[in-house]
Amino acid sequence: MFSEMFSYTFMIRATIAILLISPLFGTVGTMIVQKRMAYFSDALGHSALTGIAAGVIMGISNTTVSMIIFGICFALLLNYISRKGLSSSDTLISVFASCATALGLAILSRGGSFSNYSAILVGDILSITVKEIIQLVILFVVIMVFWCISINRLTAISIHATLAKSRSISVRVMEDAFAVLIALLVMLSIKWVGILLINALLILPAASSRNISENFREYTYFSIIFSVFSGVCGLFVSYFTDMATGPMIVIVASVIYFATYIYGKDR
Amino acid sequence: MKKNKYIFVLLLLISITVVSSLGTFFYVKNNNKQNTEDDDNILIMTSCNPVYIATLNVVGSTEGYTVENLSQPTTGCLHDYTLTTEDMKKLSKADILVVNGGGMEGYLEDVMEAYPNLKIIDTYEYIEHSLGEASDLLIEEEEEDEEAHEEEHHEDESVSEEAHEESHEHHHEHGANSHIWMDERLFEMQVAAIANELMGENLNREETPISNNYLSYTNNLNAEIDKQGLEKTLSGSNVAVLHEAFSYTAQSLGANVAVSMDLDEERQVSAGEVSEFIQAIQDNDIKIVFAEYDYGNAMGKLIEEQTDAKVVYLETLVHGSYDASSYITIQNQNYKKIKEAL
Repeated sequence: MFSEMFSYTFMIRATIAILLISPLFGTVGTMIVQKRMAYFSDALGHSALTGIAAGVIMGISNTTVSMIIFGICFALLLNYISRKGLSSSDTLISVFASCATALGLAILSRGGSFSNYSAILVGDILSITVKEIIQLVILFVVIMVFWCISINRLTAISIHATLAKSRSISVRVMEDAFAVLIALLVMLSIKWVGILLINALLILPAASSRNISENFREYTYFSIIFSVFSGVCGLFVSYFTDMATGPMIVIVASVIYFATYIYGKDR
Repeated sequence: MKKNKYIFVLLLLISITVVSSLGTFFYVKNNNKQNTEDDDNILIMTSCNPVYIATLNVVGSTEGYTVENLSQPTTGCLHDYTLTTEDMKKLSKADILVVNGGGMEGYLEDVMEAYPNLKIIDTYEYIEHSLGEASDLLIEEEEEDEEAHEEEHHEDESVSEEAHEESHEHHHEHGANSHIWMDERLFEMQVAAIANELMGENLNREETPISNNYLSYTNNLNAEIDKQGLEKTLSGSNVAVLHEAFSYTAQSLGANVAVSMDLDEERQVSAGEVSEFIQAIQDNDIKIVFAEYDYGNAMGKLIEEQTDAKVVYLETLVHGSYDASSYITIQNQNYKKIKEAL
């Protein structure tokens, strides 16, 4: 059964992509949950539409480039305005996300052609190409290097920003760098996962892990295990049942979340 | 405590694996009964219902061929349909893929890249070549769109036009309206394209079951499709369409499409477009509007309220499952509905 599955090149490519994306989601998700940035990453996902629209307006044929540039600008702008503290951060994120999404939809739906971009809502990992896998490998290396260098500083900031500052950690630079990292991850994987589900994949494994972990190391390891497991299990089930891959991964991740929630509650 | 936790995680993951494996196993067992077909047959995959019906009739009961259709979207437009894992599996075993072409199958380039050895019969391309570029039968939908939005275009900046053009390029190759099967003459040519390409496999080009099937089916099409005298009633008169497929229905009846608006599930029309459309119906004294029920129903009610025109809901043959005789049945039903509305 499995040998038949791997006789198809599209399944080999999809499996490699899942094995590259899911550990990244597991790892970065831990810090997103820890820093209560779930809403932030969701807003970034929705702004992908605006990134595509910006690319279309500027005549950029490769809309991934415009999505990344827009995502990074959007993340940095959100950080900047949140720091000003004029309004609560969830309100600000909501305003920016709604505005960006509306702008993207308005531009893309012009002339009734939004249907051309609707595939990005649910994603399609089966059509990933070798070139795109190489992009994911580069992303994997960049995020892992950043993670190894910065994890202690990010953890310190997430626990107490002022304390981190007193230990000469540049909070602003680290926060901006982390926002750029999330933007890169979201924008480069959104085509395969879809706008509607990308945040679920970022949040669910980390949230499940948080339910049962006692220290940061456990938190990270469990999150990666849950993420990779959900990804691989969801892909295989979707292959045999002919259902969309993204939703299947999220269903598996949700089951893990509920089980860990019940286990963690009783401890 | 810690040990218990690791055991819990291990058990959790094993349970999910077992449950999903068992669930998947029974699902596959129940759904894969017909997968034990003869592997020696030439497997012809078709991309959508019209070419599926055409291929079924061309192949008929000829031995050595199996015809299967890719899974069809239950709603929405074929243009933005993405292939399922089942489709990808079938395509990897297929010998020939018959497509409508003209930009209808948005996934075609990916398929050609993934399966370079797959023979593709592009019926639109065949018609384009056999009719020549000057043919009046193939409709260029963009020109009408541009006329309808002429004013808007003049006001826009050049960058916005680029965006508009680019988005349409994705939608329809060469700006073509690819719903060619709605005009029987073009559908017959699609049937001819499939028959010719399949007979190309037969080097002797003698009378074959396929050539017999082709002749018999085209005879049936000519004899059984009943236009109810509409080609006389509607000839030269103005009609409006709410789905670009019906431009071909109008063409088949000799009617002139004075105004069109392509509605689907993601189409959000602006107030300006609606008022322009209604104005055009009144200006051109249009008595009948062709629409698809799912996406044209709300607009249809509005048009009937605001104008004297009647809205007829026709089928495009795209959704659902059909058998070999469906084309004739559905076209006859469509013409009957138009006749009743007049």
